[in-house]
Amino acid sequence: KRHRPLRRSSICFASLLCSYAINPQETLTSEMNAETSDAPPTSLVDRTVVPGDTVLDLTAMANQTIKLGAGLRQDCDTISVMKAGKLRLSKPNKYWVESSHKRYVPCVEDTVLGIVVDCKPDNFLVDIKAPTLAFLPVLAFEGGTRRNIPKFEIGTLLYVRVVKANNSMNPELSCMDETGKAAEFGQLKDGYMFETSTGLSRMLLSSPTCPVLEALGKKLSYEIAVGLNGRVWANASSPSTVILVSNAIMNSESLSGLQQKIMVEKLMQRLQ
Amino acid sequence: MGAMTVDRADGRSANQLRPLACSRNILHRAHGSARWSQGDTIVLAAVYGPKAGTKKGENPEKASIEVIWKPKTGQIGKLEKEYEMILKRTLQSICLMTIHPNTTTSIIVQVFGDDGALLPCAINASCAALVDAGIPLRHLAVAICCGLTEGGSVILDPTKAEEQKIQAFAYLAFPNSPLSVLPSVPSAEDDGPIENGIITSVTHGVMPVVDYFNCLERGRAACAKISEFHRRSLESQVPGDLTKAT
Repeated sequence: KRHRPLRRSSICFASLLCSYAINPQETLTSEMNAETSDAPPTSLVDRTVVPGDTVLDLTAMANQTIKLGAGLRQDCDTISVMKAGKLRLSKPNKYWVESSHKRYVPCVEDTVLGIVVDCKPDNFLVDIKAPTLAFLPVLAFEGGTRRNIPKFEIGTLLYVRVVKANNSMNPELSCMDETGKAAEFGQLKDGYMFETSTGLSRMLLSSPTCPVLEALGKKLSYEIAVGLNGRVWANASSPSTVILVSNAIMNSESLSGLQQKIMVEKLMQRLQ
Repeated sequence: MGAMTVDRADGRSANQLRPLACSRNILHRAHGSARWSQGDTIVLAAVYGPKAGTKKGENPEKASIEVIWKPKTGQIGKLEKEYEMILKRTLQSICLMTIHPNTTTSIIVQVFGDDGALLPCAINASCAALVDAGIPLRHLAVAICCGLTEGGSVILDPTKAEEQKIQAFAYLAFPNSPLSVLPSVPSAEDDGPIENGIITSVTHGVMPVVDYFNCLERGRAACAKISEFHRRSLESQVPGDLTKAT
């Protein structure tokens, strides 16, 4: 089995420094019982949160830097939730909401699969399932000069890295890594691309290796490229293997590790 | 507040809602979808977006929302356009419009069954679909219909037959009740906590002001229950899951 190098999913953080008056609020000790008492919960970390929930009180944290990831926003003195999902905390100070959707919010240093929709003199316009189209500069290739601009047709599938991601501008992509090498980026030829949710993409890229990929790798030889924007590309020597790999991945979204292994075995028996 | 018990055709008490059911992520192509039913009133909402570009008259510095209302039968007329406008204004107040400027989010509402309280059901379904699509929201909108009978008592969630008999009814949409790690501050400031806000109120018929405020109170209390149901339905992780409540 050969697969693209695993890219860790990266979460974009905006850091904010809060310096408030020195008196902290009293520590909250009781857990909230939804019906009876009205004492607020100590912490909503690892619980499902809904838009509108307040998860942090900044007046209680004096002179600390807190980093906010996806799904959270600052509302004067509090941090409140924008998207529904599970609230996660990475010690010491990174908070984000984990959720899975069909669209993608671009983050810097994410690796995604894009489809070329237009060619301009300076940029390729690439669709990465984000709110706006992304730009891929014509020179953002290893050894790229004005003389050897790659000729991508409309509909070409590319494995690219997000370089700039800002809510108010179109995101910018690159086919090189930080050092300027090609590093597996570029056009993906042959194979089959299918769309999934962002949550499934993160699960496929998690380490240790996702159970479904391991189970498939024991018997089959295939290669896949996973984009954090919810696109997966699979390639193998025979079409039936490609179909089996794609179906196994698409079915594995809501299954636990053991269920994934059982599902893969059942699919393999059908192949024989 | 009338102390007499109201006889309703389906045997409910004045404060009792019809069974609620909500299922999310049911459409394959839509970016977010939800089906909300209250008794026999069933509405399916689909969200597409955010997509690049805004329409001609809209402000490009903000995101814009477009609502398309599809009735169960018949052509699209003035009533559908009015529903579209009310829904658009309601959803504009809960969405954070500055996060993705110059984009359009389309919400398509398809009516599957209409047995009273259609607009509140549509508001609840659209809100669930927006959450499913991952559109950034300030808070959720929870809507309910309150009817006023001749005796002056308030009934919640009337059916179509009841709506035609009573003298007046109001569609009310409130923000949901949030979970908060903050201790609940006694409201010394002018604007109290978020649960005391109201997003939308559409009234039909004539009702005295006192009775209207009664409707608001009852509606707000019932919306706390609906918002609890909404939160529970979001806690199930499996896509396409069906949650039910009575």
